[in-house]
Amino acid sequence: MNSRLFNWCFKKSIWVYHANAGACNGCDIEILDVLTPYYDVERFGIRIVHTPRHADALLVTGPVTRQVRERLLRLYEATPEPKLVIAVGSCATGGGIWYDSYATCGGVKNVLPVDIHIPGCPPKPEAIVYGVAQALGMVPKQVQAQTYIEE
Amino acid sequence: MFKHTISELKEALVCLQAGQVTLAYPLQPHPAEENFRGKPVVDFERCIGCGACAKVCPPRLIQLTDADGYREVSYTLGRCTYCGSCRDVCPAQAVQMSPLFETATPQIEDINISIRLKLLTCRECGETIATQRMAKRVENALHEAGYSHTENVNLCLSCKRKLGLNSPAWIQEVTR
Repeated sequence: MNSRLFNWCFKKSIWVYHANAGACNGCDIEILDVLTPYYDVERFGIRIVHTPRHADALLVTGPVTRQVRERLLRLYEATPEPKLVIAVGSCATGGGIWYDSYATCGGVKNVLPVDIHIPGCPPKPEAIVYGVAQALGMVPKQVQAQTYIEE
Repeated sequence: MFKHTISELKEALVCLQAGQVTLAYPLQPHPAEENFRGKPVVDFERCIGCGACAKVCPPRLIQLTDADGYREVSYTLGRCTYCGSCRDVCPAQAVQMSPLFETATPQIEDINISIRLKLLTCRECGETIATQRMAKRVENALHEAGYSHTENVNLCLSCKRKLGLNSPAWIQEVTR
């Protein structure tokens, strides 16, 4: 994606479309928490919209069941460019405990190009705020893959 | 109508009293509560590679692979459900649940952990038995229990049987 265009488009506020792709509602409730006055993401200009055609970002929860896969692809196509895809929760980031089930696609990354993963089962509202802020370039990445070899 | 205005005024007073409730996060840090289960962290010096965590993990994200004289314990934490079972069963207290929740990342591989521990092979047939740290742990446990015969820790089960070390007579000899 053209990063200059991306930065220009996402400078002020991003509108988010929340897509439940087979989640258990745990992550969805945490996303609701993020919108309450206590966490108040609207101060960053982030708000939930009701159609993907108005959205800048897709907030996907759930392991993407086979039934919902086609609908999710249609949602993705309906979102105007440039767009962000944010995977929220362990199911969306890696498939969760349904990672090898015949009924799911094992995570959003197998279906759509994901821009930011927010692991957690469910992620804390702060974790979601941190992830979205990271996608907007406000905060740095904190984790690094660890490898240890015995001497 | 007048009644309505009074109730609105009351509401306004309540709002004034409440002050600001919104967190300054992420502009200011907001650490997690006590007992919060965040990203699991492994103490590499303590891990013995026994695989107890791999057996209990609900999403089966901990994989053991033996290759080239090393046992690799890999944590694919992208699908972790943060249940804490790995911490509960770890016999060496190597796994702890850290309070870290700010694990958002563009590449999900960034939160993976990989540990490679040396394997112990049977001194007779060369078959893989366990990791060297597991054998060391067994040796220490035997010493603590008062047994002095720990020289056969590096023998596989079938070689022990071949050498007659599983026979009741020999076991009596050792445990006398």
